[in-house]
Amino acid sequence: MDVSDLRKNAKLEIDGQPYVVVDFQFVKPGKGQGLYKCKIKNMITGAVLDRTWRSGERLEAANVESRKMQYLYSTGESFTFMDSETFEQVELAADIVGSDANFLLDNLDCDILFYNERPVGLSMSSHVVMEIVEAEPGVKGDTATGVTKQAKVSTGYEIQVPLFIKVGERVKIDTRTGAYVERVNN
Amino acid sequence: MTSDRSGDGLPWGERVALWDAALDSVRRYLRAEGMREVSTPVRVAGVAVEPFIEPLTAPPGYLATSPEMVMKRLLCRGSGSIFQVSHVFRASEVGAHHSEEFHLIEWYRLGAPLAVARGDVESLVDAAFAAAGRAPVGSWSTFGVLELIERTLGCGLRGDEGAEELALESARRGLPLRVAGLDDPSPEVRRLAAWTAFISEWSDAHLDPWLERRGGGVHVCDFPPALAALSEIREVDGRASAARFESFVDGVELANGYQELRDPAEQAARFAAVAGLRRAHGAPVLPVDEGFLADLRGFGLPACAGVALGLDRLLMLAVGATRLEQVSTALSVAGRLDA
Repeated sequence: MDVSDLRKNAKLEIDGQPYVVVDFQFVKPGKGQGLYKCKIKNMITGAVLDRTWRSGERLEAANVESRKMQYLYSTGESFTFMDSETFEQVELAADIVGSDANFLLDNLDCDILFYNERPVGLSMSSHVVMEIVEAEPGVKGDTATGVTKQAKVSTGYEIQVPLFIKVGERVKIDTRTGAYVERVNN
Repeated sequence: MTSDRSGDGLPWGERVALWDAALDSVRRYLRAEGMREVSTPVRVAGVAVEPFIEPLTAPPGYLATSPEMVMKRLLCRGSGSIFQVSHVFRASEVGAHHSEEFHLIEWYRLGAPLAVARGDVESLVDAAFAAAGRAPVGSWSTFGVLELIERTLGCGLRGDEGAEELALESARRGLPLRVAGLDDPSPEVRRLAAWTAFISEWSDAHLDPWLERRGGGVHVCDFPPALAALSEIREVDGRASAARFESFVDGVELANGYQELRDPAEQAARFAAVAGLRRAHGAPVLPVDEGFLADLRGFGLPACAGVALGLDRLLMLAVGATRLEQVSTALSVAGRLDA
């Protein structure tokens, strides 16, 4: 592709790695070369870099697609997902899944990223709802805001929740920060 | 693709009032200075070829990237001093200060030196600022390009360096040149490639930040001959220098002025160098405007100074906006908006 095709969300291949353009700025001094100043994110490692391209340069578009798949199970070293239409199964290594593993409930819908047909990443929704399986009992009458206690959700992930949250209740969690958002009423 | 681009700028009624007042004051000023208004075609057979400006195609021709070619043909045919407020188009230029379609105020003054043309820029900026209720820029400063290179890089260039020497000197100053054409067989193409890339890298890394810190009105003039574009080359302090200037307000480039080149052979040679650089970096081949060259040979271009000033950017500055769409009256635009 030509640099003039650069834009936000364009997917590029650099040194055999897929990148997505997350920020993009075009500047052009006088009658000179245009400069395309980009922030690009490695779609496998998540590392963000600054790169500037000049008009006239050429880029390699990355062959990246995303497919909706369901989480099935984990062996601890890898996580298995299934395409619910074709029943095709793919595995992602634990280090690629990273802390997202804390929120992988059975049958959860995720977007699996394929780069040159190879599964390379996982993108899950920004919020998930999970059930509290362990929590210290709340102290009656303590309604001070900002006071939290330790609790555990069904995947074993430990989280700080307000004192009023009880075992068996469901809570909304932000998967980007891992933090409690709110109680979900049935 | 079309899209609403109301953005977060001026309310629509104020935008319409701003454009109305600014267009009126621009026309008043240029007419009062003895120039006639012309209106030339937007669709043209050939554009003013530039190494890094791409026209939008409009078969069997192109949308004008500037009204320069046609206005100069009118000058050759005896129009006298003229001006135009024209719609121009440049493919894939999309950003805070770029739009694929924008307005150029372009004017040509017969027999005038460049200093008079710079004075016109100052007067037009103040006229537009007054139309928007902003105070005039006040005092303007003028600097030579080589002087600013020395000031910002700590050591100077002569301005006549060949491609190899300039690429080396530039890399030593932390500005490696990344452009195709540095190894072209033609020395003119190599020189144009090196100087075009150098001025781009230097502007981005040094000149633009310097202009932004300084603020106010600045004219940058006396360019190295390789960057003459369509301007005359003259002797200044014993060295060849292109008689052109660029004008900036608050760090934003607004205008480009030339003592216009009149020699048809020199003009054809410069077009050839630009075509060579375009070929080197894989840009589409554009037709040479033979009608323009024929008029330069047949009638001759009278001595004149010419300037192009971006009206959209001027109005953006006039109201203190930071993006063109904050003052644009384009309710929806065909083309890319995703900068």
